[in-house]
Parts: sequence; structure tokens; C-alpha cells
Amino acid sequence: MEKQKGKTSGISYMMFAVTAVSAFLVSVFIVESTNIICANYEAADFLKNVTDIPDTPGFLMKKVVFFLLVLAASFVTREYLLPDSMKVMYVTICLDMVAGMFIVVLLDFNYNGILLWAFANIIGHMKRGIGQYAFIFLGIVSYALTDYGLLSARRPLFSVRDYIQVYDASGQTTLLMAYNFMISLTIIIFILYCVFTIQEERGTIEEVNELYHKLSNANENLKEANIKLEKYAIMKEKMGETKERNRLAREIHDTLGHTLTGISAGLEACIATIDNNPDISKKQLQILAKVTREGLDEVRRSVNELRPDALQRFSLENAIRKMVEDTNSLSGVKVEFLCNAPVLKFDEDEENAIYRVVQEGITNAIRHGHATYIQISIKKEDGNIHLSIRDNGCGCKEIHAGFGTHHITERIHLLNGTVRFDGSNGFLIDAMIPIRWGETYD
Amino acid sequence: MKRNKRRIAVLLAAVLCVTGIVIYEQNIRKPQVLEFGMFGDSYWEVANADGYVIIDKAIQKFEKLHPGIKIHYHSGIPKNDYEEWLARKILKGDAPDVFMILSEDFNHMVSLGLLENLDRKIREDESVEIGDYYETSLEAGKIDDGQYALPYETVPTLMFVNKTLLEKEGIPVPDADWSWDDLYRICKKVTKDLDGDGRLDQFGTYNYGWLEALYSNDGKIFDSQGKKCYLASERTEEAVRFIQKLNELYQGEKVTQETFDAGNVAFMPLSFAEYRTYKTYPYKIKKYSNFQWDCITLPAGSMGDNISRVDSLLIGISSESRQKDMAWEFLKMLTNDREIQMELFRYSQGASVLKEVTNSKEAEEILKKDTEESDKIIDHSLLNQVIMNGRVVKEFPKYKEAMALAEGEVLKLYDSSTNVESALKIIQRMVTNLLEK
Repeated sequence: MEKQKGKTSGISYMMFAVTAVSAFLVSVFIVESTNIICANYEAADFLKNVTDIPDTPGFLMKKVVFFLLVLAASFVTREYLLPDSMKVMYVTICLDMVAGMFIVVLLDFNYNGILLWAFANIIGHMKRGIGQYAFIFLGIVSYALTDYGLLSARRPLFSVRDYIQVYDASGQTTLLMAYNFMISLTIIIFILYCVFTIQEERGTIEEVNELYHKLSNANENLKEANIKLEKYAIMKEKMGETKERNRLAREIHDTLGHTLTGISAGLEACIATIDNNPDISKKQLQILAKVTREGLDEVRRSVNELRPDALQRFSLENAIRKMVEDTNSLSGVKVEFLCNAPVLKFDEDEENAIYRVVQEGITNAIRHGHATYIQISIKKEDGNIHLSIRDNGCGCKEIHAGFGTHHITERIHLLNGTVRFDGSNGFLIDAMIPIRWGETYD
Repeated sequence: MKRNKRRIAVLLAAVLCVTGIVIYEQNIRKPQVLEFGMFGDSYWEVANADGYVIIDKAIQKFEKLHPGIKIHYHSGIPKNDYEEWLARKILKGDAPDVFMILSEDFNHMVSLGLLENLDRKIREDESVEIGDYYETSLEAGKIDDGQYALPYETVPTLMFVNKTLLEKEGIPVPDADWSWDDLYRICKKVTKDLDGDGRLDQFGTYNYGWLEALYSNDGKIFDSQGKKCYLASERTEEAVRFIQKLNELYQGEKVTQETFDAGNVAFMPLSFAEYRTYKTYPYKIKKYSNFQWDCITLPAGSMGDNISRVDSLLIGISSESRQKDMAWEFLKMLTNDREIQMELFRYSQGASVLKEVTNSKEAEEILKKDTEESDKIIDHSLLNQVIMNGRVVKEFPKYKEAMALAEGEVLKLYDSSTNVESALKIIQRMVTNLLEK
């Protein structure tokens, strides 16, 4: 890539050198030939045989040199001083066109190769697009229209060939060859410039293709990683669940297990003593009652610790509403919560169960059912609470034990309720929970 | 680093701007010296000792009118070197602002775009009335209806008459409206062998050729562009036949300058410049001193009038002049100033291009002063008429070459007995080929 770039800038030096030197040589040739004509006293004869002459050869040469300096300055500015500015690029290219045109007109179209230099810069620098095509069109038209043969037929122009006639035969041959060679060389260099530019461009396209390939590969990898991440998240959740269960088991073991073991042992002692010594048994039972109460306290404390955060702060209804709101705002799913039970105030374990079931239901609907709409309704029916969670997701043909349904079933059964799942049209969780109305837990 | 580069770019642009302005200033700035290109000797191939007097006077008057502007000219360039001198100046882009133009160069100079078109200046300058100039002298500076030069001095062709000879033969000097027939009649009468050696030694005409006859037969040889040749026209044929008829009178004898100088030829075409030169001191002693002579119009052909060739010296403005307004003022001074134009009668040999000046009493007085009492000076109305009706011959780059070919071929025709009509057609084809080359 870098090597290719080097070639193109090398050829652009060469092209600038050839065109600028050619234009300069034409003007020098005219000045020198004029001096020779005048020194040989052939001015009158020369004048009779030409159709036009330059106004002032010396001034002409100065003007040509000036415009060549403009071209050089424009070249240096574009390539070295301010190579990053688009504005500078456009301005210098326009400047090249204008200065080139001035030189061509000054030299009366005897050398229009300098236009090819301006033209080459358009091809080499401008972005592909309508602007560049317009410039290229302009370039082709101007090059074609500034052809000496074409123009000299329409209006008088001075001709390098007339000045060549001034020299002797061998000089004429040499000069004519040099003049024609100069014109051909310009065209050859221009073609080379185009070839290198096209090659360089092809290199760039290949590079872009390679980058695109890399990018799509990376994208594929990213997708895979995403899927892995999703699986990992599920695993993490399951691990969390296991951890929670272990904690629960430990808690039960530490509190209830301990208390119950004590109670069981105490009761067995009572059974042994109740016939012989009812007083001791009575005393023992009093102790057991106390231990049981303490155990109950312990259980209450444990349960309190397990209680969801929202339930600790809000009522069940508000906690569910909060959850619904959160879900509505966090995911793109629309969740509706209908509640026609007068007061949703139950025992803690009931509230917990309902809350967890709703939470699980929403999670399942989103994760497995990919639902966009979930309806949750809580109704009071014959002293029972009827909880249904319905979604518009993909459902499932067979209800697998496991996932969320297992936990839900477990929780509902704990409350002596019944639960039914239906995956035929979306997914439906239909639970009936007998509530201990009016009972307080103490 | 980037800031520095930006600074360098700006500096570069500034340097270029300054360079451009300096180059422009050097070459465009209006100079305070106006260059005038001229030759020192006479345009009319006669001796002239006072070549720079009129120009010096014009310059003096001009510099007084336009203080701060100086006019410079190179003295000592003879007419023969002038073309090369001017061509060198033009090639180097150093053409004088105002310069004299040789008639043979005029056409090509216009096509090279070297001369400023004066139409606008003439139209816009109210001090110039184009009708003041003789139409024929203006015509010489015109190409395709564009005025590219103004006439400075004009010289018509007259017919020299040897009054002594005619008197001796008892023939009155012909009227101004005489014809070919009159000329032929007189020639027939005067052509004779005086000394009885069997060879003719007195003739009717010298140097009167088919070209002079053609102009007075209202004909021309070329169009103004030098693209067409009219040699085979009826008018040319008549002119050639007439000269052939005159030549037959001389029985093959060649009339020479010596015969003429000896006073043995009645008529010879003569330019007004020669007339003035040899009528006045000191040149009158040198030539034609042994007989009385005068000038009249050229005889009219059957289809034409008493018309002869009128030449004008043209002055133009360089299209590259940086002081065109001043150049125009100076051109006006030379060609349109009555005082300067009057000087032509004092210090030059031509006539003024302004009708008013040539027709003036003052001009007549000046001409009279130089001639002897006994000599009748040229009739003013005659001069006016000859200039007014003259034939302007516009030369083009190949004019001399084509003319030499035509004259040479026609000359051969006199001696042979070929049919004039068909011979002229052949010559016309030859000349046309040359023109088209």
C-alpha cells in the first residue's frame, strides 16, 4: 500500500516537472528565436510568413513563469503544507485549472499539456461523485477545445512551427522532434499517472473489502458471545436460586430444625413421664410451649428476612403495582394489573407467595414466552383468591416440570391452593388460593 | 507544526501576489514617453532634405498641448530599412505607439492584429470630422470597412506634358478631360524620325503602360484581399490593346529615360511628389531643365474617366500601445491638424490629406513661391480632382510578386502576335495560382 502511494506521488512529481518544463521551454524558445530572427535581420520576412505573433515575448515568458510558480505553490500547498484540508484541495485544484488555462492561452495553444496536469490532479485527489465527474468532463472538454490544430483553423495563432522554420534544416529537424517528443511525453506521463492512480484505488478497495470481512467476523463472534452471555445469565440465576434455597434450608435447619428437635425430644420425655409424674410432664410441656413460642419467633424473624424488599415497604397491591410499573418501564412488555379484591391484606406467607408467583409469572412470560402483553388479575371468589397471569407469548405445547412452574406449584401447594397451567394460547397461570380470612398469624 | 505550515502557505500566496503585481506593473504601466516609428527619407522615392522638420514641429506642438508626455523617434532610418526595423520592434513586442506603415505591409499588419482599429476613436472624438479627409486617402487605411490607419500625406499620379514639344508640333496642351483617343492622336502626330537616320527618335509616351491605362478605364487587377485577379476582364483587355496600339506606333523602338530627359517624349506618368521635386530648386536644375513642362490628368479610357493612382502614406497606432489615448492625440496632430498638414507643402513633396488644406489659398501660395514666375504652377482644382477621383491600390503581402508576374507576362504579350483575350486568361490563371499558394 505504502509503496503504491510512493509510486503515484513520484509520478506526480514527474508529471509536474515535464509539463512545467515543457511550458517554460516553449516560452524560452519563442524569446530566443525572436532574438535570433532579429539578429539575422530576418524580422520582416518572418513577419510576412506568419499568421500571428505573441504580443511581447519577454513579457510572455515572465507571465508563463509566474503562472508556473502559481502551479508549483498550489502543488506544494496541497501535498505538503495543508494536505488534510478539503477546502485547500478544492481551491488549489481550481487554481491549477485557471493557471493552466492562462498558460495555454498565453502560449497560444502551442502547448496545452499543462491542462493535463490540472486534469490529473482532479482524477488523483477528488472524491468520486458528481463533482468529480463534472470536473473531469470540464477537463476533457477544455483539453479537446484547446487543441492547436482545432483552434488555428478558426483564428490566427502564433505557431512554434513558424519559429522552428527560422533555423537551418538540421536544426529544424531536431527542434521539431523535440517539440513533438515533448507533447507525446506529456501524454504518456498522464496515462501513467492515470494507471497508477487506478491501481492505487484498486488497492484501497481491496483494503476496504478486507476490513469489511473482519468487521462481519467480529459481528458473528459478538452474536455468539451474546448467546453465551444469556446462557450464563440463566445459569447465574439458577445458581442464585440454589444458593437461596440452601440458605433457606440452613435457616430452617438452624431455627425450626433446632426447635423442633428440642420439642420432639421434650415431647418424648413427656410421653415417658406423663403416666408416673404428670406434674413433671406438665412442667415439661410448659417449657416446650415456651420453646415452641421462641421457635415461632425465630421462624417469624427468618421469614421476615426472606420477605421481598417491596413487600416490606408497601402493601401487596402496591408492591405488585410497583413491580408492574418497573416491568412496564424496564422492558418493552405491556403488563396490566387488574384487581377487584377489596383489600389485599393477607398473612405474610400468603402475600409472599402471591408476590413471588406474580414475579415468576412475569419473568417466565418474558423469558420463555417472549410475550409483549401480560395480564395479571386478582379476584376474590368464594372466599378464595383467584390469581391468573395470562400472556400473549409463544406458550408451549407441553408443560415441563421445572423452570418457573415448579416453584409456582410448590408455593401454591404450600398454601393448600391449586394451580393450573395452560400453554395452548399464550401462557396462562391460573391459581386458586384459599385465604385464611380474618385470621391473624399469631 | 501545522500552524507553521499554514503560515508558509499564506506567505507563499503573498509572495506570488507581489510577484504578479510587480510583473504586471513593469509591463502595463503607462509610459510617459510615446514612441513614434518613422523613416527619415521620402516615402515617394524622391530626395527630401527636410525629413524631420514637420515631425519635429508636430512634436513641439503636441508636447506643449500635453505637458508631461514626450515623444521619441529614432532618426536616421531610411525607408528601405524601415520595414525590417519595424518588424524587429514588433517581434520583440516593442512596437512604437504610433508608426508609419508601408502600403505593402498594411494588409498583413491588420491581419496580425498589430494595428488598433480606429473606428471607435473616430466616432467618439468630436474634434475629428472624417469628411475632412479625402475619401481616397482614407480608403487606403481601411480593411473590411474598419479604419486601421489614417493618411498623413497623399500623392496622386499625374501626366507629365512636354509643353515645348507640343508647342513645336503645334498641338495645344490637352484639357483635363481628354481621352485615350486624344492621346493616341497626339502620339501618332509626334512620333517621328527627327534626324532622318531611319529610326524613330521622338515619341508620344514614356512609361505609360497598361496599368495606368487600366486605372483610367475604371478597372482593377486584384480585389482588396489579394485573393482574386481580374486580368481577363474586358477593361484590362481594352487597356492592354490600347498600349499595344501605342507600341505599334513606335515600331519596336524602346523609349528610354534618356530620350525623355532630352525632351523628345511628349507624355510620361509622374507622381505629384516628383512633380514638386523637379519643379523646385535645387532639383529642377538636375532634371527636365531644357524644356517647359507641366502636369495634367491621365487620359480617360472608353469605360472610365481621367482617373489615376493615388498613394497615401499611412500612420497607425499599435494595438499593443499602453498609451492609446495619447497615441490617438498624436495621430490626430499629424493627420488632422491644419497647421501641421500645411507644413507638408513646405517641407515634403506630397499633398495634404485634408481637402481644406490642399484646396487652400495658402497651399497654392506655398507652391507658387517655389516655382519660377514663368512656370505655371499646377492647377488647384486639377490637383483636388485627381486626388478625389484617384484609384487606391491596396497592396497585400503577395502584391509585388503577383504584380511582377503579371507585368512580365503582359510585356511578353506585346511582342507576340497571340490573341490578347485568351493570353490574358492564361496569365490570370497563373497569377491566381500564385495568389492561392
